[in-house]
This record gives sequence, structure tokens and C-alpha cells, in this order.
Amino acid sequence: MTDFPLAGTRFDATAPLNFDSFGCNTYKVDSLPTPDRLEPDVRFVRGVRFGLELPTPDGKTIEVWRFEDELAPRPVWPSPPIRVRQGQLVHTQIYARNNAHTIHHHGIEPTTFNDGVGHVSFEVSDTYDYQWRPHTPGTFFYHCHKNTVLHFEMGMYGLLIVDPPSGPGTIYEGGPSYQVEAMWVADDLDPRWRTLGHSAGMCGEDVGLNRFDPKYFCISGVFAPNTLNDPRVMVRAQRGQTVLIRLLNASYSILRTTLPMDAQVVALDGHYLGGPEKPWCAPYTIRANTPFEMVSAQRMDLLIRPRLPGVFTAKLEFLDWVTRAIQNGGQGVAQTQIVVT
Amino acid sequence: MNRREFLAYGALGGGASVILGAAEAQTATRTYELFIEPADVEMIDGTIVYMLLFFGGPPGVREPRPVLRAVEGETVVLRIVNNAPEAHRFQVPGVTGATTTNIAPGQRREIRFTAPVGGTYIYLDPLQAPLYRLVGLHGAFIVTPRNGLTLAGSPTPYSATSQTAAVRAVFDAMGTMPRFAGDKWNPNDIARDKVWVFSQTDPALNKRVELRQSVDLATLAANFKPRYFTINGRSGFDLDEDPTVRISGYVGQPTLIRTINTGLATHAPHIHGNHCFELAGNTTAGAVSVRSNVYERDVWMLAPLDRKDLLLPFEIPPDIPREAWPPVQEPWPLRYVMHCHTEMSQTAGGGNYPQGALCHWELLGPQRPVA
Repeated sequence: MTDFPLAGTRFDATAPLNFDSFGCNTYKVDSLPTPDRLEPDVRFVRGVRFGLELPTPDGKTIEVWRFEDELAPRPVWPSPPIRVRQGQLVHTQIYARNNAHTIHHHGIEPTTFNDGVGHVSFEVSDTYDYQWRPHTPGTFFYHCHKNTVLHFEMGMYGLLIVDPPSGPGTIYEGGPSYQVEAMWVADDLDPRWRTLGHSAGMCGEDVGLNRFDPKYFCISGVFAPNTLNDPRVMVRAQRGQTVLIRLLNASYSILRTTLPMDAQVVALDGHYLGGPEKPWCAPYTIRANTPFEMVSAQRMDLLIRPRLPGVFTAKLEFLDWVTRAIQNGGQGVAQTQIVVT
Repeated sequence: MNRREFLAYGALGGGASVILGAAEAQTATRTYELFIEPADVEMIDGTIVYMLLFFGGPPGVREPRPVLRAVEGETVVLRIVNNAPEAHRFQVPGVTGATTTNIAPGQRREIRFTAPVGGTYIYLDPLQAPLYRLVGLHGAFIVTPRNGLTLAGSPTPYSATSQTAAVRAVFDAMGTMPRFAGDKWNPNDIARDKVWVFSQTDPALNKRVELRQSVDLATLAANFKPRYFTINGRSGFDLDEDPTVRISGYVGQPTLIRTINTGLATHAPHIHGNHCFELAGNTTAGAVSVRSNVYERDVWMLAPLDRKDLLLPFEIPPDIPREAWPPVQEPWPLRYVMHCHTEMSQTAGGGNYPQGALCHWELLGPQRPVA
């Protein structure tokens, strides 16, 4: 141990470890140097923003919270992707801007300080550089891990893509290749949760965060039913091309996906299947029109190889975690199209 | 008749599993006593909830929800006493003979069955399913294989006859591949074999059972509004230091995690720090299903009555820059959470994040000290 400043963190020798410091009044720092810091190859800056009102298909609006790219500010949701290459040393700098937050890079496995979970390290009131170096290419995401039940639902997430060292185009160095890339991020939104403050429930109030009744359903920020024809979601490919679909379930529903053509699963949760170092696993095929399910935060990387021209419909159904009924009285469905020419 | 017991989990050291000694494993018969009894259980926020629980263990031991263990092929003798005010049953789904008919209040029953093939099982009360299981009558039954070695001699939790090439490859990689430098999985170290039983509690449902009011099983799921989300009966801060749930070890000490969902909500256990190998699940008929394609997951689906075995490899968290390993300025232990990502499960009493289904594993250092 060195004289590294630990004040405010769980590792502060004077910090209490009790019910309150675990949740309601957890560890916080304004800012802190990154321990064992190295010079980054690439850096990202993400600032917390509340209050983005998105129009909904029924003529209303709904609020989302998000991380803004402070080097290229734009009011977009989901938060802008972080895209890096395997082996790059990355710093993600958070600016909390509004109370305390964290960034957890989901599926990325750094040290505890760089993992962004308050009650085992600290929340950030001002700024901190999260340090990590992705060891494998794949599909990940990042999100706030404070009062996560609420902050993740409110939209504080974005995709995190790790490409092989040679860049986009293959699943891993020497692995399967693709020519077209689609990113489908499924989410569901409950308007009631928008009435809650950012720390709702944390100090013992019953604010009903055990109950989730989503009314809106999205793919990559596009609300159903607009997902069907929206170019941000639709896939366009030519016969003979290979399409990579990076699918993330960012909802709190069981996501049941039905694809109109055979799909080869080449990676799960950011780890590719097969390859010489992994004799325990191999890619596998899901046949056309065969539903498959994912729970919250799971990712699947799917390769499709369309052989016939046409317009094909993919269906994403959002199921309640207890009843398994389609959410919102059967309305919890988002469809989109794969157009093959 | 009504032996109501008060369980304040935060202050109780229970839940320990029964450890099998090497000599004991040679015995052909294993006897357990189980008492079905009401209990007033304190939730993490101080709310008292009525539950029906199995208490017991080996004769003379009295733990809530004891983990029952046996070796494949042994005769298991269960003496079950119903001290609850209504009839109950006992069952290990998928295991022949491990079932009873109704046991009336005040009655006792003895059953014998042969421990099945090695793996993770659930015991529960199947009466008025899923009612009594949700109110608390459930637990884990762990079967150790008689011969769990791979052809290369690596220990596994699965019988040689049910192993797949994929699962053998995982256990053979431990302590062999540079990525997994360190030990093989150690089946004789209880710290390397964890049981996490997830469940959910809706106090309103439990209250109806306490008051002996009828419950409409056809609408139970639609009316089930869980407010507490537990692992081995506890949640949140109460699990932080719980040695039966928390996993501690050094790099190179791979640890088996047997995850079970006895509730009605589908969980999404997510572990930080390492991806886990999904080794086995169960068929709908209740048999152990050893995977022929083993995925590295950071989230796994745990539907009601699912049993999934994961291997936490205890590899160096792979996205720490190697120039910064081992950490010098950052203090040990490195501590990582496991939580369900369907985050309603992270609440207690409608709020109180993160006092729900969440626990931890910790890396004590870069390698196990030489004894």
C-alpha cells in the first residue's frame, strides 16, 4: 500500500461498513486520481444529462437520462457508443454534472476502482477516469451503476463495441467476417418511473421500484411501431453478404426474438464462440422462425447470410419477468425489417 | 402444534452447508431430518414476514433451508416432520422415489431413495404448486459424483458417464492453460463449491397462507408482486459478509457456483470481474443436463425452477492492463458484485437499492500463498 488517497472510498480506514454505507449513504468522492494509472491510447468523455424529452408514437413525450459525449455534444439516446480495439488502453472520463453517478463497463473486467460500483468502491460527484484495456473483441455496453434499478431504466447506457486489432469486419482476428453491421438494442420504458427523483427509494422509501409496467418499447432508441421502417433499425443487405447483428437486451423484460432467416450465433456476452483457445465452445445455428430468449443485459452476436431477395420481418417481444405475458396487454412488441436486394 | 420461530437473518450465522468428509463419503446411507415449520422472518428492511421453512440437516442439526448433500448411488433416508398447521409434501423434482404424499399436520414420514447422478437439485413442497414453494418450502440438494474425474484426471462435479467433451475441456484447462494458471477445481474445499438459492417474497401472499385464506392458483402469478429478493434467504447488506454466499479466493482458485431459482420471477444473474462458464442446467423433467457447448457468460438466465451450475474461473480480471498487474496503488481485496440485472430484484420493500438479490466475490491476491 502506498499513500494513495482513499478518503471517501470503501477502502478509507475510517469508512463505516454498515447498512447505510451499503445503500442510502454510500461511498462518494468528488474526484480521485486513477490508481496505477497508465497513459491511455484512447479516451472518451461522458457527462450525465437529465431531461431529454423524446416524442412517443401516441403523441406524448417521455424523459430519458443519458451520457453525453462531451467531446462532440449531441442530444442523442441511447448514449453514444464507445468503440475501441482489442488491446487499446482506454480511459473513460465521467463528469457526473448532476449529483453522483458511475460508469460500469458491462462485461469489461477491470479492477474494482475502475468497475464503477459505488458500495464496493465509490460514486463520483465530479470526475474520474475509468481505466481498462479490452482483452477480447465483442459486444458490451456501459451504464450508470448508481441506484441502478432506476438509472439504467431511465436510459443511462450506451453500446460498447470492441473490434479486433485490425478493426471492424471480423468477429475476432482470423475469425468469421461480415460486410454489414446492425446494432439492435431492445429497451422498454415505464412512464411512472419518470416521476421519481434520481435517488428515489435509496433511503428506505417505498417508491414501487419492485413493480415495472412498461408502456413503450424501443429498438436502438426508435419507438415501436416505428421500428418497422426506421432506417436506424432496418437492415439492408445484398445477397451473398454476411450481416452481423449485435443484439443487446437493455430492457427489464425477457426478450423473445424471432428472426426470419437462419442465424449463426458467433458470440455471447462479448466472448466469441470457438477458436483455438476455446475447445469448450463453438458457434451454433438458430433456425429461421425459431424464437429465442434473452434476459436483461445479455448480448448475442448473430451472423445472417441472406440467400434470397425480399423483405423479411424480425420480431422482438417483451415478456413480463413473472407472468411471461407480452408486456402492456400484448402491445410489447417491436418489429423491423431485413431488406435483401 | 404451532412452533413459530423468529429468524433475524442479519444476526444469525445459519445457512451453512453440511460438509462431506472423505471417510463419510464411503458410507452407503445418509440420513437427514427435516421439520416443516412456520417462522417469522425479518427482511432486510426490518419487515417481518410469515414463512414456512424446512429446518434440519443431519440428525441433531437445525438450520433453516439446510443444503442436503449425498454421493451418487448412496441411499438417502429422509425423516420429515410436519409441524405446520396444514398438510405438506416433499419432492426432489426429477429424482425417482424422492417424493411423498400428503403429510398431515403433526405427522412424520420417512422416505428412502437412491442419490441420482452428480449435480444440483431442488427440494420443495410441490403441493398447490407454486404456492408453498414460494412461501418458503424449498432448498438445495447436491449430489457429488462417485467418479467425477475427467479422462485427464481433472476433478469435476459431474459423473464420468454424464460428462461432455466441452465440460471436460473446461476443467482440464484449469491450472493448465496460461489463462487459468493456478489450481484445478478442488471438490473437497467447500469454499470452492457455493450454492446460491434465489427466491422472491410477496408478503401479501404469505399473509394469506398465514391466515389460512384460500389462494387462487390460476391467478397467483398475475397477482404475485414480490417485494423481497433473496439469495439463501437473505439479501443486500446481510449478504455482504455472509461466508456461505460470498466467495473469497486468490487468482487460480476456480469456484463452482450452483444457482437455483425457487421463485416465480426469471432472474438474470450478472457477475462482475470474470465471465463464468455455464456448465449444466436441467431438463424440464428435472434431470441434470451437462452442456455440450459451454458458453462464457456474464449474465445467465435463471427461470423459475432452473438450476444452473457456473464455474467462476478466478482468472486475473482480464481487462486490467497487464502493466498495472498486480495493482500497487489500488488496495486489496479486489471486490466484485454479482447481482440480478432485472433490477427490480435489487430492491427491498419497493426501494432500498441495492438491498436485494446481490452478493460479492473477492480476489484476495494475485496467487494463493504457499502453505
